[in-house]
Amino acid sequence: MLIRVGMSSCGIAAGANDIWSQLEPWAAGVPQLTLEKTGCIGLCFAEPLMDIIADDGHVYSYGNLNAERALAIAQHHLDCGQPLADALLHREDALIPFLKGQRRIALRNCGNMNPESLTAYMERGGYGFIGKVKDGFSPTDVIAAVKSSGLRGRGGAGFPTWMKWDAARTQAGEQKYIICNADEGDPGAFMDRSILEGDPHSVLEGMMIAGFAIGASQGLIYCRAEYPLAIKRLQIAIEAAEAAGVLGKDIAGSGFDFTISIRQGAGAFVCGEETALIASLEGERGMPRLKPPFPSEKGYRRHPSVINNVETLANLPWIISNGGEAFAAVGSPDSKGTKVFALAGKIKQGGLVEVPMGISLREIIYDLGGGIKNDKRFKAVQLGGPSGGCIPESLLDIPVDYQSINATGAIMGSGGMIVMDEDTCMVDLARYFLNFTQEESCGKCVQCRLGTRRMLEILERICAGDGQEDDLVLLEEIALQVKAGSLCGLGQSAPNPVLTTLNYFRSEYEAHIHERRCPAHQCKALIRYYIDPEKCKGCGLCGKQCPVHCISGERKQPWVIDEDKCSRCGTCMAVCPSKWAAIMVE
Amino acid sequence: MMVTINGKSYEAAAGQTLLELATANGIHIPTLCHDPRLHNYGACGICVVEDRKTGKLLRACSTNAAENMEVETDSEKVLASRRMTLRLLLSDHSGDCRPPCLKACPAHTDCQGYVGLIANGEYEAARALIEEQIPLPGSIGMICPHPCEEACRRHLVDEPINIAALKVFAAHQAPDWMPGCSAASGKKVGIIGAGPAGLTAAYFLRRAGHAVTIYEAMPEAGGMLRYGIPEYRLPRNLLKQEVERICRLGVEIKTDCKIGRDIELNDIISSYDAVFLGIGAWRYSRIGCAGEDMEGVLGGIDFLRAAAMHQAPDIGRRVAVLGGGNTAMDAARTAVRLGAEQVMVLYRRTRAEMPAEPLEIVEAEEDGVIFKFLVAPDEIIGENGRAKIIRVQQMRLGEPDSSGRRRPEPVEGAYQEIEIDTIIAAIGQQVDMSGLTGIEASRWKSIGADDITLATNIPGVFAGGDGVTGPGIAVEAVAQGKQAALSMMAYLNGEAFAPAPDLALERTITAEQLSGVPKAERLGPSRAPAAERAATFANYVGIMTPEQAQNEARRCLECGCQDYFDCKLIECAHRYELQAVDIEGAKHHGQSADRHPFVLREPAKCILCGMCVRVCEEVAGLGAIGLVGRGFDTRVEAEPGLTLESGSCNFCGLCISICPTGALMGKYPVAKRTPLALDETGLTCKECGQRECELIVRRKGNTIFDVTPGSTGYICAQGRDFALYSAAKH
Amino acid sequence: MSCQCKGDAACCQPDIEAGMAALDALIDRYGDDPGNLITVLQGAQDIYRYLPLPVMQHIAQRMDIRSSRVYGVATFYAQFRFEPVGKHLILLCQGTACHVNGADQIETALADELKLKMGETSADQLFTLSSAACLGCCSLAPVMMINGTAYGPLTPDKARAIIRDIRKQEEAQGGVAVC
Repeated sequence: MLIRVGMSSCGIAAGANDIWSQLEPWAAGVPQLTLEKTGCIGLCFAEPLMDIIADDGHVYSYGNLNAERALAIAQHHLDCGQPLADALLHREDALIPFLKGQRRIALRNCGNMNPESLTAYMERGGYGFIGKVKDGFSPTDVIAAVKSSGLRGRGGAGFPTWMKWDAARTQAGEQKYIICNADEGDPGAFMDRSILEGDPHSVLEGMMIAGFAIGASQGLIYCRAEYPLAIKRLQIAIEAAEAAGVLGKDIAGSGFDFTISIRQGAGAFVCGEETALIASLEGERGMPRLKPPFPSEKGYRRHPSVINNVETLANLPWIISNGGEAFAAVGSPDSKGTKVFALAGKIKQGGLVEVPMGISLREIIYDLGGGIKNDKRFKAVQLGGPSGGCIPESLLDIPVDYQSINATGAIMGSGGMIVMDEDTCMVDLARYFLNFTQEESCGKCVQCRLGTRRMLEILERICAGDGQEDDLVLLEEIALQVKAGSLCGLGQSAPNPVLTTLNYFRSEYEAHIHERRCPAHQCKALIRYYIDPEKCKGCGLCGKQCPVHCISGERKQPWVIDEDKCSRCGTCMAVCPSKWAAIMVE
Repeated sequence: MMVTINGKSYEAAAGQTLLELATANGIHIPTLCHDPRLHNYGACGICVVEDRKTGKLLRACSTNAAENMEVETDSEKVLASRRMTLRLLLSDHSGDCRPPCLKACPAHTDCQGYVGLIANGEYEAARALIEEQIPLPGSIGMICPHPCEEACRRHLVDEPINIAALKVFAAHQAPDWMPGCSAASGKKVGIIGAGPAGLTAAYFLRRAGHAVTIYEAMPEAGGMLRYGIPEYRLPRNLLKQEVERICRLGVEIKTDCKIGRDIELNDIISSYDAVFLGIGAWRYSRIGCAGEDMEGVLGGIDFLRAAAMHQAPDIGRRVAVLGGGNTAMDAARTAVRLGAEQVMVLYRRTRAEMPAEPLEIVEAEEDGVIFKFLVAPDEIIGENGRAKIIRVQQMRLGEPDSSGRRRPEPVEGAYQEIEIDTIIAAIGQQVDMSGLTGIEASRWKSIGADDITLATNIPGVFAGGDGVTGPGIAVEAVAQGKQAALSMMAYLNGEAFAPAPDLALERTITAEQLSGVPKAERLGPSRAPAAERAATFANYVGIMTPEQAQNEARRCLECGCQDYFDCKLIECAHRYELQAVDIEGAKHHGQSADRHPFVLREPAKCILCGMCVRVCEEVAGLGAIGLVGRGFDTRVEAEPGLTLESGSCNFCGLCISICPTGALMGKYPVAKRTPLALDETGLTCKECGQRECELIVRRKGNTIFDVTPGSTGYICAQGRDFALYSAAKH
Repeated sequence: MSCQCKGDAACCQPDIEAGMAALDALIDRYGDDPGNLITVLQGAQDIYRYLPLPVMQHIAQRMDIRSSRVYGVATFYAQFRFEPVGKHLILLCQGTACHVNGADQIETALADELKLKMGETSADQLFTLSSAACLGCCSLAPVMMINGTAYGPLTPDKARAIIRDIRKQEEAQGGVAVC
């Protein structure tokens, strides 16, 4: 019997460490039992997770565990040889909808094996590429395969992967570099982290494939420092691969040299931009450089370089072993293959999903994600993080492909998909994103440095109830010029959250400005909380929880909020027992 | 390869950028962060051009020309982008492009400029600078109520700079300085009225090469300066000399020639290519009470004119002057000098509301003038047709009126009778439009003229000064004279008149911010004691000594940005016609740093083009400054833990010369740093024995204000010293 | 806070000395390549928990990089700190999922519980309240990370309880060492 505990960062955050430390000593005393860690299967809403794989290969999945419960379930399996039926997530028997709609290529190994084991990866066909090389596979063969797969960069811009490679391959020069962009900076996106934590070897193999294609013998992984577990697992993977001779000089006698080292990012979103990333790798301030020259001509240390994102790389071993056509057979004509999304926000079943391109947003949100939390009304889905945009309900049936998403004003982005309900204020959301881009602007070009700042200030004053009549005109004017004139992708896309919300939710902006009202009841300056004396039973719970102690009253009498002191945090509303729901907001 | 720019084809070399190609072919593309000595950077984005095929904006500084490329350098899209870039830059740029004194002057006289030149002993240059706006510097300096001084920030420390007296000083020190005139244009201009407006218009039109004739109704030129302002305030000789200078330029003045009396306006219009009406406002406003037509009741302006012509009537012993303005003061003090024993100013509000200049009021009091406040004329009672008593209504102050002053209201039943021999009504002046056949009047019964072009309803006929605005101060008439001259020049050239762009940033400075400035006494010319001056019409104000003038000029706080004339940001803002700083938001107010022996830093003016950091690294090879922080809060700082002067800085000044704004400025051995349009001379420096550097010495007169790298693009401290030394020697 | 010198003054020099051997070893390993500057700065911050000015100057001198550049690089990245941080570094996630799930209420609760504003360190050097762009645990939103351990999903009460637990443990151990 094999027990796997989901030990990705989010699993650990949800308590997987406790389960592990409970199970480990117990398992040590049971000879017929193997206990191993695995990465993220994507069922984040049910973390912490545990799989029990019976000797017949049958997988039983359990979620929402704690240490005691996990131990009890494991013990039950051991004692009865049976699953604990009412605790099952019913994963294998009847695929739960969350998994049913998926097509896992990049995530093929995540959650299904021990990410710290090279053997496990090899058993699942890993490093098959080396065999291909030994069989005479050439760089042009690799490029042809990737070309036929139709794979486009999964980091955001969606540039055809083979074209980037071909540009670098045809450059003269002995020294070339493959750089893995693992600086996943979009707030709300965590698919790269999950891959790195759950299947590091496929990223390494992907880099090896790319390196072979362009003639690079060195790979660099630029990983954000906020992902310590990913870095640790990458290190383990590199050491294991080097020790096994699948990485390094003359790999497995193929004559191909390839080494990989890891560099940690130091906290700058702009370093997701290729030229800024290169500057950072060179030990400089991560400020974007002018293109041309493109990195494929003069990249890291002025040598031809290709920068690929984690998800892109994780697809490559599969494409090489299954053929480009197999990949191209998945997805839509414009956008081939699959895309991983990090589904979060006001969604019932948040987590990581890999879906074939062309699926509709509605399917992802309602079929896979189970719909909106607490059965509230859907308002918008945000795609592409700070560079992306908000898509309204009327567009939920569009297919998820590059063209259709771009047409909405949002972008595919790296895969962050944040669902918002009626309680989300779209002006506040635009403000939130502008606050992010403004803080992350490198400060080099005027348009971004000052444009994002001024847009933020306008949004802040609208949210604060100080919006002025011509603010929307000015906001739009600045947004369009920042988009057109910024030096790099960060600035060029920073206005997207503003432009899409202005486009689809203009009336919300207008309510803030003209009526001094926040329809979603989120902007603190524009709302007030009060207690309905008819409904209040005088339990005093709100008064006890109020952080500014502004609610008072007698027991069993209606309580009152002192509006002057109220910080409008909403705690009272949250704690008021739902059977009474006496706290109102307007 | 061929590249199309703005629809025209140009041959481009491989590797040539669009900016280089455009510049080589005389097409202007602005840039604020690019320099051929440095690696491409792309920060400012103002160099964008539109790719016609994709509609995308390309940074011209770094985009290489490519075969069959088609770009537009000034399309709507490009202009909109550049304007936004500038609006954003200006939203985080703090400074005073121009000093408050200049902005307060109706004629925008560069007070800081000439004060600075005087501090440096450059008197001729000072006069020349004043005459960019005011062709009568001595006369205006004597009588101007100097709004410049009201605006002078030095009042936050102690007292304003004595700007008006320094103007007189500069005029006095450089009496022989004459401006040049352009070659004759063949165009003729006729001007009606030789007052400050007409003389100014004539002066500038003449300098531009036009033939100018002035028709003056009075026997002498000068207008109100000659006939409205008493001699004790403005010596006749000084005015005469300054009018003669204008004549020496070639302006002809026909005196005793009045429109409608001696010559018809239509005849003038038909004889000249353009005409300017500078007729002033010479008719006094009536009192509006019973008895005002009696003998012994005079109009203030009539009285002053008569006195100026030595034809003053007998005013008797007791004189009452009605009004609280400067004309009232002039009339009262003239009455004193004509021998009246008791001169009383009757004013319906209080001293605080008097429009007259405070110094005039004080000096009138010292002359013995008595002030009676809160009284309004009710009736003039006479005897045998001659005024004998003025009955006045007692007033009190009520609510503020539209001018912000408290409105006088009668106190019911409270009257007072004052015995008088003469009443002088100095309560206002009006324009006498007689003789101006066909000219439309304004709502205020003055000459109707466009605010900007000063054109009247008749094509080719322009007007300005009191005749358009109603009675104002002389320098306002001067300002309109110049504005009319510029508008007429455009008209004569068949062009539309566009006023020079005047967007200038301004900051608010508090007394607290200036608390570190040491106090220094305001210096002024000598003034005769009251006892001596009241008896005579002679002028009693002296001229400052050069020592006094230089010391006074050194009190200037240098409010206006030192780099105004070299600032690429304001140049772009003007070029792209920005009207105002219209995007508001947080600004950086970095403290200016003045400790460095050579480099003066004003971080609030930094636009983060990075050129200083890059030139220090890439050209000077020092790295004495670096970019610190990121995003909106990025700043340029010295090495960590060090001040700029204590670090690797070798004082070469490359950063200063490359800074597009006034964020970095050089300190030169001058008595007063002054923003000026400088004259340039070149020289070669070989002092170090390793390099040969072309340097540019920038000066005004004999004072060197700046040394910058020439074509070789390099400078060092040694080179600068050499330039200062050798330029001073020659 | 008992020490306000930010590592510049004599009171903190012994601490800088104490880490010097480790710092030099770090520079010996990575120092020949100026491209490794960020790696070295990260290592130095691991040693000192922040980047004291003398440490940056030492790195500049040993790696032969201008100090203005070292400082420019260090101040560009959010990871680097220039003031000592508390023993427990609390990073409140500012990601989108956390934002829409009420991260600001967690911030209010933490600020109230700790009596600290964002970016501040408690007088007893126990806690620093700071933020991170996104911790990548979006499905557990709202999330915070304390010394590398993530906690979520949080409620204001849960966040307070976590802080109280740490405080209790610290009290049991008898306080903290101060710079």
